Amino acid sequence: MRARRVATFGLLAVACGASGPIGKPFNTQWENDGGKSISDVQKRVAGAKLPPGPGVAVGVTSTGLVGATLDGSAKWTHDGKVDARPVITGQVVVATTGSELFALDAKSGKKLWRTSSKLALRGAGDDGKVTVVSLGARAGGGSKFIAIDRGGSDVRSFEPDPEIGAPGVLGGVAFIPWGNQYVSAIELSSGDEIGRLLLRDKVSRAINLGGHLYLGELSVVRFDEKIAQAVNNQGTRLTLPKREFPGEPLWLGYGATVAPTQSSARDSVRYYAAPAADGASFDSNRFAATYFRVAIGLESKTGELEWVRTLPHSLIGGAGATGGFALCDTAGEVWLLDAKTGAMGGKVKLGSKVDSCVVQGGAFTVKANEAPAALGEQISKAIRLRMPQMVAAQQFLLGALVDVEDPAVTGLLIELLSDPQTVPALTDAASSLLAKRRNGESYMLGALGKHYDFLSDVERPPPVGPLAEALAAMEEKRAAPMLAEHLNDPANSPAAILKIAKALSSLATTAEVEHLRIFFALYRATADQEELVEAVVLVGEALARLGGTEGKDAVERAKTDPLTNPEVKEGLRGVKIKRKRTGGAESTPAE
Amino acid sequence: MIRSVLKAALLSAATIAALVPTSPAQAQKKPKEEAPAKLDLDRLKKQLESSQPAEIRAAVATIQAAGDGGKAAAPLLEAFLGRGSTAELLSLVLKTTGSLRQISSSQAIAPYARHRISKVRREAVKALLKTKGPVAVRALRRALRSKDALVRGVAASGLGELGAKEALPDLFVAFDHRVHEAATSIGQMCAPADCEKFLDRLTRFPFDVMSGGLDQILFRSPKELDDGEKMKIVGRLRELGTVEAGTFLADVAERWPDDWSADVKKAIQQAAKQSGGGGEN
Repeated sequence: MRARRVATFGLLAVACGASGPIGKPFNTQWENDGGKSISDVQKRVAGAKLPPGPGVAVGVTSTGLVGATLDGSAKWTHDGKVDARPVITGQVVVATTGSELFALDAKSGKKLWRTSSKLALRGAGDDGKVTVVSLGARAGGGSKFIAIDRGGSDVRSFEPDPEIGAPGVLGGVAFIPWGNQYVSAIELSSGDEIGRLLLRDKVSRAINLGGHLYLGELSVVRFDEKIAQAVNNQGTRLTLPKREFPGEPLWLGYGATVAPTQSSARDSVRYYAAPAADGASFDSNRFAATYFRVAIGLESKTGELEWVRTLPHSLIGGAGATGGFALCDTAGEVWLLDAKTGAMGGKVKLGSKVDSCVVQGGAFTVKANEAPAALGEQISKAIRLRMPQMVAAQQFLLGALVDVEDPAVTGLLIELLSDPQTVPALTDAASSLLAKRRNGESYMLGALGKHYDFLSDVERPPPVGPLAEALAAMEEKRAAPMLAEHLNDPANSPAAILKIAKALSSLATTAEVEHLRIFFALYRATADQEELVEAVVLVGEALARLGGTEGKDAVERAKTDPLTNPEVKEGLRGVKIKRKRTGGAESTPAE
Repeated sequence: MIRSVLKAALLSAATIAALVPTSPAQAQKKPKEEAPAKLDLDRLKKQLESSQPAEIRAAVATIQAAGDGGKAAAPLLEAFLGRGSTAELLSLVLKTTGSLRQISSSQAIAPYARHRISKVRREAVKALLKTKGPVAVRALRRALRSKDALVRGVAASGLGELGAKEALPDLFVAFDHRVHEAATSIGQMCAPADCEKFLDRLTRFPFDVMSGGLDQILFRSPKELDDGEKMKIVGRLRELGTVEAGTFLADVAERWPDDWSADVKKAIQQAAKQSGGGGEN
């Protein structure tokens, strides 16, 4: 490392004691200036460019780093184990090893500079000339800021009192988030704090998104001519819509911490988004959510589900890019997905399995090279995954099926409910959805033709309860004989039997009388559950209506038979039995 | 106490009343011991339709006591089943209907083989084994697919007793699904090709599971299964060469009828000896 051009760490007191418009850097006596000082800084650096950098993915392996550009033009490896997850910012990749801090060219992997450091990497920013880095102890605390130019010279470094987040840099000014609400603008040449922004939203990151500096964490504000308004929650602001999503994913995540080299479940449950050119909306009006093996495209204003993509391995990193998303998995594959449709736009291989992965969309544009499948099919594929940790996402996706008209969705629900492997958490939701379906009758009738069958390994009867509800609502008379068959199948639950009885109340014809008669005889005195009692009464009603004299006689007899279950008897009291008089007119005997 | 004594007295009175001879001539003549007692069917009908559990039990007792004469009451019991009743009475009536061994009763019993109450269901399956006929066979074949292991087991063994050869494919599937009772039925009914199919399972299933079927095959009458086939089976068991197979063969040799093939017996004995199961020196 070359000699320091500016007194730094050894002169911390000088740096931190330097005065500027704000006073001592990071002082807590500062009073909100309504955005004036930060606006002045913005005007000062307005002409400075922030290179977006290439689209690139970097994976951490047990021996070092592997990188690849998203356009597939370059691939590289770097030997040497790192002690924290690297950061890609613009044209550089920054990492620490426990004994040194170094930067690589993002495109080629060539080492740009290195310096000694025992602290681990938290965050970094780069404007093409200077790289600013925040470091800290792995267990937290020990914040250190360091700015290094391309030649490897230490431009400025200090150890501030507050915990600092991931810094950014533009036009010789470092932007350092701290205290979850401030961003201090530190002039690198003097060490003075020349402006400060108080944000109403949580802020722990300054980040280069597509060649623009953004500040924030849960939401971000662009560092542009409207930055002063950010004080009042305005400015060029980007926020993801609030919506329920399993695992409560984060977009950028907390910046004042060291990210471990080994990814965790939190890394598989994330949001990804890229700003559109105006900076105030999201590219393609989409953001993506990942949940282990599934990526989900959501509309950026409403949060509505637009597409679902099921991938072969758990996703552990990614980024938004122009026109799409680049999502990296544990196998070291980076999937390029079209933002609008989720269609595949290519795949980049890092060349080995990775412990964790970081991606920068940069200047890369995703272009789809296939037609997307129908949404119902996309969702079905995700729901069919047999992974315990996927259940929460699958429940979420099931909920999304409500609005999908595709008859294949009916088939999927039946398949799920007929599969003994399907967990109860999914069957409840799927049952209720199936009962509400009003299409896919061929799937429904096909399913009703099946029964529990020990010899054929049909271990779970078809979901006759919800099927009965749906088919009755659809007035599907073809279902009646099959429902009648199921009425007398002891493998069906009492709740299902009740739904069948309800459906047969409207669908049954004289062709089903024999099944009704048998059910009535078998259970009028033996019904031992509430649902069965209700079912017997309903069947009795149908039998009295459709079963001719014999049916009427059977019900009438049951009404007075002391052996008939008392609750059934009570229910049958409401069943009117109409008999034809000699003249053909119907009569109802008085109760 | 007094109440129950009275009840018992009334019941026996009812039983006796239903069994009284129907004509004065018969009353005077002492019935031959083997002649079935004639039933008062009208009275039994009333009792069975009375909705009074005591009356119904009395009617059933009368029918049971009538021996072969009870067969005449089968339609009454069938009608009872057609109307339905409590689980306890159904079990009783199913058992009694079965004991009358009337094919016509299978139709009324069959739906109960799928009753939700296991006690009723099981009683029905057992009754079907006795009433027999195509309806019983159909119901038992269906029972093989039941969720109830006991029902499956009874059905599997019963289909052999009923000689339902058309059920052999189902019985093989049932056997492969660990319905071990199917072995005996397969052994009772298999044609040579089927018997060999059964033998193919020798290495996949424990010998004690297979032995029920093997025993049935070897003791099928020579008219039904010729000695050549039996020799093949003995050969397969010899190849198996296990002590269990040897012991089994030794036992078969001991029980081998004297008027059956001496050659087969000799082969059995030799195979038993080779397999360590003793046999002829």
